[in-house]
Amino acid sequence: MGEAMDAVKDDREATIRPQPEHSLRPHLAPPAAGVLLLSWFLGSLLLAFIVVPLLGLAISQSGGSLLHVAALPDVRQAILLSIEAALLATAVAALLGVPLAYALARASFRGQGLVAAVVDMPLAVPHTVAGIALLFVFGRNGVFGAPAAWLGLRFWGTVAGIVIAMLFVSAPYTVSAARIGFEAVDPRLEKVARTLGMGPWRVLWHVTLPLAWRSIATGLTLTSARAISEFGAVVILVYYPMTAPVKIYELFLRFGMHEAAGMATLLLAVSLVLLILFRHFAHGQERVSGYGR
Amino acid sequence: MSAPAAALEDVSLELGLFSLRNIGLTLDQGEIWAILGPNGAGKSVTLETIAGFHRPHTGRIFIAGRDVTKLAPERRGVGLVFQNYGLFPHLTVAANVAFGLGSRGMDLAEALSRFGIAHLAERRPQDLSPGEKQRTALARALIREPGLFLFDEPFAALDARTRDSLREELGAFLRETGIPAIFVTHDHTDATVLADRVAIIKSGAIVQAGPVADVFQAPADSFVADFLGIENRLPARVVGRSGPYLRVAIGERLLQVQGGTTAAPAGDIFLCIRGEDIALSRSEAAISEANAEGAPINRLSMRVVRIIALGALCKVLLDGAFPLTACLTRRAARELGLVPGADAVVEIAPDSIHMLAVP
Repeated sequence: MGEAMDAVKDDREATIRPQPEHSLRPHLAPPAAGVLLLSWFLGSLLLAFIVVPLLGLAISQSGGSLLHVAALPDVRQAILLSIEAALLATAVAALLGVPLAYALARASFRGQGLVAAVVDMPLAVPHTVAGIALLFVFGRNGVFGAPAAWLGLRFWGTVAGIVIAMLFVSAPYTVSAARIGFEAVDPRLEKVARTLGMGPWRVLWHVTLPLAWRSIATGLTLTSARAISEFGAVVILVYYPMTAPVKIYELFLRFGMHEAAGMATLLLAVSLVLLILFRHFAHGQERVSGYGR
Repeated sequence: MSAPAAALEDVSLELGLFSLRNIGLTLDQGEIWAILGPNGAGKSVTLETIAGFHRPHTGRIFIAGRDVTKLAPERRGVGLVFQNYGLFPHLTVAANVAFGLGSRGMDLAEALSRFGIAHLAERRPQDLSPGEKQRTALARALIREPGLFLFDEPFAALDARTRDSLREELGAFLRETGIPAIFVTHDHTDATVLADRVAIIKSGAIVQAGPVADVFQAPADSFVADFLGIENRLPARVVGRSGPYLRVAIGERLLQVQGGTTAAPAGDIFLCIRGEDIALSRSEAAISEANAEGAPINRLSMRVVRIIALGALCKVLLDGAFPLTACLTRRAARELGLVPGADAVVEIAPDSIHMLAVP
């Protein structure tokens, strides 16, 4: 009698166990061994392709010759100039790119896709082309360069020009990463914060930015890395003073591979240290990002 | 009568695809309203309009006696609680609760211990159980002493058992604080358990509002009846009258229905019968005693088709002259020996049948 009823066990008395939210996420199903093996095999080819040349470059240099290169004043100057300009470009990208990312993430308007595509355009433009295009605007007779020069701000032969070239090619990384970060912030959290007595600016500062910070920091890290390694746009807009990549190119042309490799190794080391510092700074600050993670 | 604790007066707005039309609600002190409606009916927009995120084109909103229609959300004194409770994942429980404290003189430690979350103060929201999240969210909202609580589908993401217990906890909390509350839900059980009054909303307009029992007993139309989960909605026809009762035919079968006195419907109608208003037995004799007063009772012979267990209750699907669904406790069904294929006698009192005009 009443089989259908007895089939459902009386579960009213069962205790309510806390369910941590992450347990609700679907677990990754383990892929078949063959698929995983092939993926690893193909993937390690790419890994080797990235690591071997850099490692080869690094071990080609003796400690003595590196010290010798590092002692050269123009090499040191070039590397410091690269760091300085890259940090400035990153700061400008943060100042102008993060607000743009916020606007793209929060507003919805016609042509939004077009704006997003424009932001990504520098990634598709060859960097020498970018340099020439920038020359048209910021050069001696450029539409912006000429009036700016009249006010005392020159973009040729100056750090400002280097920053402009670096910014052009590296800013998209900040905008797209920050946009993803802002989009992941649940607007309901911002609304709750408003009802808890905060005005819109304080909500931005205390809720939205902290939650999007991890993505923003990733974007800034990529921007700084891209900026310090930029050659094409910089060399066309500003040949002197020389940034590190330009200096390496000059050493390569004038003295050959051996001379250039020393400074290249040095720049590689500096870039890696900067990247690690940036990542540490970015990800050490905040462990959580987004809502419900 | 004292002034209402909160009120919406004739609020209308257009918002992209959504619109609200002439929404009016009045909350007394300590009163709990449920706004019930299907997805896309405008429930959340209504709540967000009260909270101040949308400016109504017409109408006014009052909270704690103040006209807040033109105030920003942070100045309205509402406590807003979302599905999943909207805790800030980058802040600890203590920092979440302290978030809105500002310069107010309330004691954070006291608030945490009042809600039984003092031991969780340094935890992050993602490490809390749903119950702990709810308590944190309530503590955070209450610390600002809101004039009105707003809940947006607070239980929608929870499993059934957790939902039951958190619903009871929230009800106890609201009755204890006496702060009026509006919560929106698409689950009519939330409304019956928690609310004093309910407003049914459809396409941005309130189609019926009133005390929960009244609305559930006498839905205004077929949409409301369907939405409130009234199990039996049967097309029928009024064929005559005998004293205070109407004679109504479902197919061949005649039923006596409490007719009321004014404007009795005529012709084609719908009959609404709640599953729990249907009495079941195995033989005619068992019931005839209960009918000693001589009031007419509708008695039908039917056959059990299926039994669906629902926790402590079960639904019994019956068939005879027409299909019918009854709700019983599982214990009652077992004692009656109801199994698929068994014969059963169905009794429905004339005042348990509600008539609806055909739309």
